[in-house]
Amino acid sequence: MSAPPASLAGVAHKVTQAQIAKYAEASGDRNPLHLDAEFAAATPFGRPVAHGMLVLAFASELLAHSFGRAWLCGGKLRARFRSPVYPGDVVTAHGTLTSADAGQATYRVAVRNQDGVDVITAEATVPLTP
Amino acid sequence: MSFGADVILDLSTLEPGQCLFSRSMAVSADAAASFRAAVGDEEPAAAGDHAVPPMAIAAMVMGAAMEAVELPAGAVHTAQELEFGRPVEEGVMLACSATVVSNSVRRGTRFIVLEMRGEDGAETALRARATIAIAQTPIAHATDGAPE
Repeated sequence: MSAPPASLAGVAHKVTQAQIAKYAEASGDRNPLHLDAEFAAATPFGRPVAHGMLVLAFASELLAHSFGRAWLCGGKLRARFRSPVYPGDVVTAHGTLTSADAGQATYRVAVRNQDGVDVITAEATVPLTP
Repeated sequence: MSFGADVILDLSTLEPGQCLFSRSMAVSADAAASFRAAVGDEEPAAAGDHAVPPMAIAAMVMGAAMEAVELPAGAVHTAQELEFGRPVEEGVMLACSATVVSNSVRRGTRFIVLEMRGEDGAETALRARATIAIAQTPIAHATDGAPE
């Protein structure tokens, strides 16, 4: 494989309440914090927020599109959820190469919102196949 | 996934090593399509047209684990580790399981770490570890992070 790219840039995703509802159905995660405005209003978040795993899927999408099968065969991701994502937010995943050796490349990955806040930070490791 | 209303359940009985569930599960073609539509990723799969998005497997196993734990509403997902071993085709049955890694309380918040696996025969398709935070007082005490 040629040298791994120094940076990775994903597509912007505008998160909507309809998308959150779709994710709730697809994943089975119907926590009212995501779906019930009245419930969410009584929490520190103040209004419904997106599932962490929904937003993390944007990081996995970035890596899958950048590395294809290699991501599915040995890819690793260690992520921390830093800030909530609200309906209407626009988030984009980014990656920066931090190290590469004979066997793998490691990236610092972030999913960033429209205000420049990293809502997810992560370290991703991708095997480099010959 | 089931979530209680605003009732905080007693999760203190969960012990490290405790198996929450172990059963065969599959992501159907319809479920994979629903997942792709939900995350807005409609591009061809990296491993073929019938490969399941890896995050769909993670969501399926995680959903089963959360259902087994019966998390209270407002539980917050603070960290996630994922390791993908191999692509999985739609409809392929995986031996899935979830185990409690740790269960502790710090500064009024319970942290539960779960390890989940999805295995196809001798091969591990997915290994995941999730950290969930649950306020021990009503939700107004929730921590940073994205809700589970």
